[in-house]
Amino acid sequence: MELLSFFEWAETSLLGSIGKSYGGVYAIGQSLHLMALALLGGTVLLTDLRLLNVILRDVPSEQVTENAYKWFRVALVIIVATGIFMAAAVATKLYYNSFYWAKMAALATGILFVFVIKRPLLKRPHSEINPIVLKSVALASMVIWFSVAATGRWIGFS
Amino acid sequence: MLNQGLFDFAQWLDSFELSTRLHESYYMYNWVESTHVLSLAVSLGMLLIIDMRMLGLTLTNVPASRIAARLNIPMMIGFTVMVVTGLLLFFAVPVRTTQSIWFRIKLVLLFAAAVNAWMFHKKMNESVASWDSEPKAPIRLRYAAGLSLGLWGGVVTTGRLIAYDWYDCYRSQSEFMAWASGCMAE
Repeated sequence: MELLSFFEWAETSLLGSIGKSYGGVYAIGQSLHLMALALLGGTVLLTDLRLLNVILRDVPSEQVTENAYKWFRVALVIIVATGIFMAAAVATKLYYNSFYWAKMAALATGILFVFVIKRPLLKRPHSEINPIVLKSVALASMVIWFSVAATGRWIGFS
Repeated sequence: MLNQGLFDFAQWLDSFELSTRLHESYYMYNWVESTHVLSLAVSLGMLLIIDMRMLGLTLTNVPASRIAARLNIPMMIGFTVMVVTGLLLFFAVPVRTTQSIWFRIKLVLLFAAAVNAWMFHKKMNESVASWDSEPKAPIRLRYAAGLSLGLWGGVVTTGRLIAYDWYDCYRSQSEFMAWASGCMAE
């Protein structure tokens, strides 16, 4: 019940009111969210496909992951910021949307996976890591971030 | 004349039972749309990295031609999925989409992005040997990379705006907007 109150408050907050009142501003938020999705997806795929030896095999994987990680963080910040803006405008509706909660669960898993497992692991020289572990991490990463994006899109369909 | 032709074509597509069935299928339509949006990560994601390399923003110690060549294949796979799903989405809702100002602007931007990409590759292939290992591409190619980012930002934005009915034909609007949107139905 307290959580519902928070969502109701979010909808009446300044952020929620701006998104609700100005369709154009809300649409720009959505577009930025999508462009950040492209950047985040691009950096995730660049890293994971390199770890799977699918692309850029002639570039050291450490070099690819370090470069991709910098822009992954930028994309994540934009996605979260625009996501909060979009969610605030329709917060009460989202509270009752099961795909919204699925997305939040997938996003929390993705963030934990990156900062607790993937990033600490990939800081080490990749030659010292068991190739099966590297490939498993890459596959898990793609599945998790696909889930985040897919459940996010389905919020709008339910 | 052109608007009438486009409208007739849209109505012809709309007459197919498959068009209606695709539009009315909750799972099929929504999965096609989701695939269209999610393939952004592959197509635009790879393109962003190529453009950012040209602008000196990432992977600056890897030759630019190598990044462009290696990421070209996944990028083209992503674009192919995007085009196929985009055509299916158009086929599912042809009449409204043909009369959407946002869809029309999106097509113009897509065409401009394609021309820009073709010119970019031509210029890059002509001169890459002299700057391949430099952290940034020459200024003209950097402009082209920046333009590419801007055009794709426009494609994404107008694509998202198709869902909004602000300028749909049933609304009262100026003569110019009605013409630009291709409004033909009553």
